[in-house]
Amino acid sequence: MIRALGLAMLACCGLAQAQAGTSADAMSLLRKVYQATERLSYTGTFVYQQGDRTETSRITRVAGNDGGIERVEVLDGMPREFIRTRETVRCYLPDSQTVKVERRSDERTFPAMLPEHIAGLAGSYTITRGEKVRIAGFDCEAVVLTPKDELRYGYKLWADVKTGMLLKARTFNRKGKTVEQFSFTQLAIGGVPRDRVKTKYVTQNWRIDDAAVQPANLQRAGWTMGSELPGFRKIVEVTRNLGEARPVGQMVYSDGMAAVSVFIEPLAGRAEKLRPGPSSLGSFQIYTRQVANHIVTVVGEAPAASVQRIADAVEYKLPPQ
Amino acid sequence: MKTEISALVDGELDGREAAGPLNAIKEEGELRDRWRSYHLIGDAMRDTRMVTPGFAVRVAAKLAQEPTVMAPARRVPLPQRPRWQYLSAAASVAAVALVGWIAFAPQEAAPPVAIAPKQSEIVQVAPPDKADDYLYAHQGYSPRNSLQGVAPYVRMVSGEAGAGKR
Repeated sequence: MIRALGLAMLACCGLAQAQAGTSADAMSLLRKVYQATERLSYTGTFVYQQGDRTETSRITRVAGNDGGIERVEVLDGMPREFIRTRETVRCYLPDSQTVKVERRSDERTFPAMLPEHIAGLAGSYTITRGEKVRIAGFDCEAVVLTPKDELRYGYKLWADVKTGMLLKARTFNRKGKTVEQFSFTQLAIGGVPRDRVKTKYVTQNWRIDDAAVQPANLQRAGWTMGSELPGFRKIVEVTRNLGEARPVGQMVYSDGMAAVSVFIEPLAGRAEKLRPGPSSLGSFQIYTRQVANHIVTVVGEAPAASVQRIADAVEYKLPPQ
Repeated sequence: MKTEISALVDGELDGREAAGPLNAIKEEGELRDRWRSYHLIGDAMRDTRMVTPGFAVRVAAKLAQEPTVMAPARRVPLPQRPRWQYLSAAASVAAVALVGWIAFAPQEAAPPVAIAPKQSEIVQVAPPDKADDYLYAHQGYSPRNSLQGVAPYVRMVSGEAGAGKR
């Protein structure tokens, strides 16, 4: 019995590892993490680190057939709260008495990470197993996604051996330096009452910023990409409002882990002076440029060079009448 | 014979019983390959770090290429070595072990394929006003949501410094 199992293991893992680098074993652990995110109810406290910024947040999730409800409340700095269901995301900002609402009316405006997409990650990353460590009282096993080129960051994920719950996630650049990190300091899995995922704010008189997301075809309007970034494909194309009511077009490109958004908005009627070039905000890289009387703003969880390459590829061609 | 080799690897045979399979694997061939595979499987199951396939063959080939040293035997007994030399020998062994361990450790930094332009050559500008609006709009489509749920949203509104923070 043991020998047969061993042979199977050798065939599945050993040989695949020797050839491609990515191991079936690591892939199955990654799949387990995605399933746990969907399946588990939990409540806990995690720390987000980025540069010299460290913030603690409380997170609660109640799983359910309706897709579940999740709530995160940032405990440090400016107070803010996010509540996410399958159909909506609400962001509560008590300082400005504002709720930002994003509704997903259509599956085209809500691309979920499906199991077949997980397999696709092996095209851009070498996926391997890392060491076992203990985090917040949980025995964890690690999976490492090492990028195959310089167009994306690397990721290391630590998950509870028993449930697959993600306890820690680190994003690192090509020098191995941490870009950002999420790490639970306390976590309890299971048995969360539903009132724990309700907002603590009374929002009767608050301003509501509705994103009014609509599926769109920006290509038909004349917006195209001269060249696509290797491994990245377009996952969504919408029109929406930014902030109070600034209509923009948005295209999102992703390799399954990293994502980059292209925002297109008319230059006319904007008070803000255009500042073309690269900038950054937290772990996000931004690149701004003007194309055909429009402002193109590219925002991404990817190295600055990748964000700029996507921005440089945006073209406008007058559509045929 | 396969069953006997398997039993041999598992240490289930006594000296007399082992003679048969041991003879069988003296020669290169299918049975010796099988004997190696069983060891590799055993190592995998015990979570021992595995050597790459063909390791033994490569080592044997390297040894065969080594010149035989034809040196006369020493007549004078070796002088007594000071104690620290043994210590340094032990340290070397430890160093070799460490290097070996590092060599087999999973490599986090693969050699880069596509070369991006150097960061230092690029001049940064201030982020757009209300940059958080862009980040928030982007976050809804981030694949990180499928992996971490709502947690990545905490990146959006960047604390007190707000949109001015670089």
